[in-house]
Amino acid sequence: MPGSSSKSGGRGPSSSPLPHAVVSPSRPLRPSRYVPVAAATFFLVGSTTLFFCFTCPWLSEQFSVAVPIYNGVIFLFVLANFCMATFMDPGIFPRADEDEDKEDDFRAPLYKTVEIRGIQVRMKWCSTCRFYRPPRCSHCSVCDNCVEEFDHHCPWVNNCIGRRNYRYFFLFLLSLTAHIMAVFGFGLLFILCQRQNINHLHAIVTLAVMCVAGLFLIPVAGLTGFHVVLVARGRTTNEQVTGKFRGGVNPFTNGCWRNVSHVLCSSQAPRYLGRKKCVQNVSVQPPFLRLQLTEAQLAAKILDNGIQGDLHRSKSSLEMMESQSCDAEPPPPPKPELRYPGIGQRNAEECSLLGKAPPTPTMYKYRPTYSPGKNHTTLTHAYANQLSRGESVGSARDSSSSTSSLLQASQQPGFRSQPSLDRRDAVSDRAVGGGERREAGREAGGGGGIPGYTLGGRSYPSFSDPTVLSAVASRSSSLAGAAHVSEATTASTSFKSLANQTPPPHHPSRNGSLSYDSLLAGEDFDKAAAPEPPAGRLCTPATGGYGSPFLSQQRDADLPSQSSQSPHHHHRSSHHHHPFLHRSSSSSSSPPPPPERDRLLGDPHTAPAANSSAPLPPHHHHHHHHHHSHHHHHHSSSTSSSSSRPPRFAAPHHAYPYRTRSTDVPLGSGGASARSPLSAHPPPLGKSLSYSSAAAAEMQYRLVRKASASAGANAAGVGGGGEGGGMGGAIQAPKGELIQMKPRSRTNGGQPFSSSSSSCSAPSSPSHLISSPSRPAADHLSSPVTQSPAHKPPAGGVKKVTGVGGTTYEISV
Amino acid sequence: FHNLQELRHSASLANKVFIQRDYSEGTTCKFQTKFPSELESRIELTLFEETVKTLNNFYAEAEKIGGQSYLEGCLACATAYLIFLCMETRYEKQVLKKIAKYIQEQNEKIYAPRGLLITDPIERGMRVIEISIYEDRGSSGSSSGSSSVSGSTAR
Repeated sequence: MPGSSSKSGGRGPSSSPLPHAVVSPSRPLRPSRYVPVAAATFFLVGSTTLFFCFTCPWLSEQFSVAVPIYNGVIFLFVLANFCMATFMDPGIFPRADEDEDKEDDFRAPLYKTVEIRGIQVRMKWCSTCRFYRPPRCSHCSVCDNCVEEFDHHCPWVNNCIGRRNYRYFFLFLLSLTAHIMAVFGFGLLFILCQRQNINHLHAIVTLAVMCVAGLFLIPVAGLTGFHVVLVARGRTTNEQVTGKFRGGVNPFTNGCWRNVSHVLCSSQAPRYLGRKKCVQNVSVQPPFLRLQLTEAQLAAKILDNGIQGDLHRSKSSLEMMESQSCDAEPPPPPKPELRYPGIGQRNAEECSLLGKAPPTPTMYKYRPTYSPGKNHTTLTHAYANQLSRGESVGSARDSSSSTSSLLQASQQPGFRSQPSLDRRDAVSDRAVGGGERREAGREAGGGGGIPGYTLGGRSYPSFSDPTVLSAVASRSSSLAGAAHVSEATTASTSFKSLANQTPPPHHPSRNGSLSYDSLLAGEDFDKAAAPEPPAGRLCTPATGGYGSPFLSQQRDADLPSQSSQSPHHHHRSSHHHHPFLHRSSSSSSSPPPPPERDRLLGDPHTAPAANSSAPLPPHHHHHHHHHHSHHHHHHSSSTSSSSSRPPRFAAPHHAYPYRTRSTDVPLGSGGASARSPLSAHPPPLGKSLSYSSAAAAEMQYRLVRKASASAGANAAGVGGGGEGGGMGGAIQAPKGELIQMKPRSRTNGGQPFSSSSSSCSAPSSPSHLISSPSRPAADHLSSPVTQSPAHKPPAGGVKKVTGVGGTTYEISV
Repeated sequence: FHNLQELRHSASLANKVFIQRDYSEGTTCKFQTKFPSELESRIELTLFEETVKTLNNFYAEAEKIGGQSYLEGCLACATAYLIFLCMETRYEKQVLKKIAKYIQEQNEKIYAPRGLLITDPIERGMRVIEISIYEDRGSSGSSSGSSSVSGSTAR
């Protein structure tokens, strides 16, 4: 309308806090806006008045008094509804305050999708009113307001027709039609009866009134019929005209009868504008009641840095509202589900998480390893429980955390790793606890980014930490085997399905190596990169299961779904334990085709596990084809029986990968690393040094030699790491050994382990082996390795290996 | 008021959480019961859910089409809507009175002691429930009080 331009001259529409129902004095009049309503009023009132004055008296005398009464009532009805339709607030939304749209600022997508009764409905962002328009809401350009259940802007009443005044408008139309028809009919009757007096004033006026009535009858009746259909269908004019539900289903209809009763019989909706603000007399003063937060939770919150809060806030408006991605793009979710059928419920949750794409990919960059605090909190809750529960685990945790901190420190900011480690331990402990496995997993997973991170990290420490491993082993053995087995099974299943995905090229190396730090670092790499599609997240599990949870955490950093992660984590944690359990229980009961990680874990475990591990090598081959050649090689080289494990030989390779990782060096020996992880994986938990020491020594020598050979090929640092890894891997010692290796490699990351390249590392490994069985001190183990040089006298009967701090271990050959 | 201002000094508004509408069942007024993460450390999930669910029930009852609303409509029609000048609609009674009272009571009993404040959604067009989160600023109240006093005197 031409007048609308002048309307905005008075004030900026967006800056005005009040919608334009309140006219400021400076606002210029728009006469053109009032023409239709003036004309409508004029014709309505004028014609009816003339009708009453000229036609009705004679009719009332001629026929009955009921004529004017009837007409009078109808006219009154018309007027009342006309006034209500004109002056009633149609349901104008007040402008949103600035603080409400803080979340929807720059990153706010134009549309938000919400599912209403199974039908996707888009909610558009109103830049004037600064909120996402609720369904059926529309912004009237004439009134410059967002109106609830906007029907149309009626020029005849100079008002928007919306939720509050649609009933009056509809009744106005109905009554107006009836009124026009009555006036026309009675006028016709008058004329027919007064044919002879047609030139009288009365007749002329009546004719004029009839003309006006006849003129308006057709459009008004047409409009009335149109709205009758709309009411029956439960649509608004806006929806009908814009064809929103053309050929589709209207989610707002409740059936014809209910729609009609809703229009006519529902209670008058309250207005939003012009309400007197009720002042709350509630005083908010400290001290405030707080929820009991465990220290873990607080730690999680501290770590969160409030980023999660921002993320969550930004998503809070989108979360439930969008069943699909908040952007206009199609949602990605279905892919993950297809990909990991084995994950089951967790997968579904994750998929739902995936479906809710983060509003901005950049957020991930800011929080590479954290997930929303919500997850955090969940994790910490779990953690808290763990703390309260697992007292016996405390020692294990401490040792493992120390170990893990070593690992972590080398690769990542300390603060990040620390909590995750703790959590990790807690979760792992919990997982061992068995009964609450689910919870543990959930909580761990719930930590969101952190849990994911934790789990990824956790897997390492759990392996590397001799204490944890031993604790787990002991606990597992003490607990019902079924629980663990089931855990292992589920873990293996989940991992299996995860592993079904084709891992990215760089993943195998990551997987292979039992270097947790490298894994974590790798995860960081992944995270640092642009967030992969949801499938990518699931892909990471393929990398041995470590990467994925972590990466997935990244992706879903802002997704609060804890449960989705928890089961995943849980699986992972249980996965960690399960290899040990299996090994300790029986080598034959090797887990069903486990993911790479499993295999890695399993290999060392099975190998050293006792003499009954004879079937292991074949098992390994079966499960880890890529290690196949490696194992074969080992087997051929080793003269010992099953006890002499290929894993040991692969240890040097194993060492490479994670050393490389810690130094951020691409794994030169990618293949080797891929293999080594498997073999280099920590010896099975609870594995007793049942292997013949002689054979072990032999094996180790060979492994060391290989390690040194490969070390020579690589950089000094890598070689050193490889050596250390080799040594650790060669050792069939209980998991503690492996853990030692890790820290060792980690600490050695910086320093070229030139000395390690010497074959002296070999001797040290057996010493480690021997020393590890009972060992819980990771550093203790690691130190010997780092320091290395085992001076192991090639004596026939007893070998002496010098460990850290000058401790001497004797290996009986 | 003086007391309130002093109190406010020591508890500053830190954040606002907005509980969005749940449109899964159409345009009936219903709020999401999803627990926002910002409140995780401030209030128990059960309390929050109970508040939102009670509010949802209130709104559902207000929008119910039944005998009373029908009679109200007929009466209004019969009196040419002049009855609206004298009488409050059923919805208004529900919304204004009951909900406002309920929110006030919830604030007094549950939310204010935890440093939270619920704002009536009607003030926001029934689009969101606004929960203000206050943080304890400690003893900074005295300093800010004095500064405000000095500011006023300077003026």
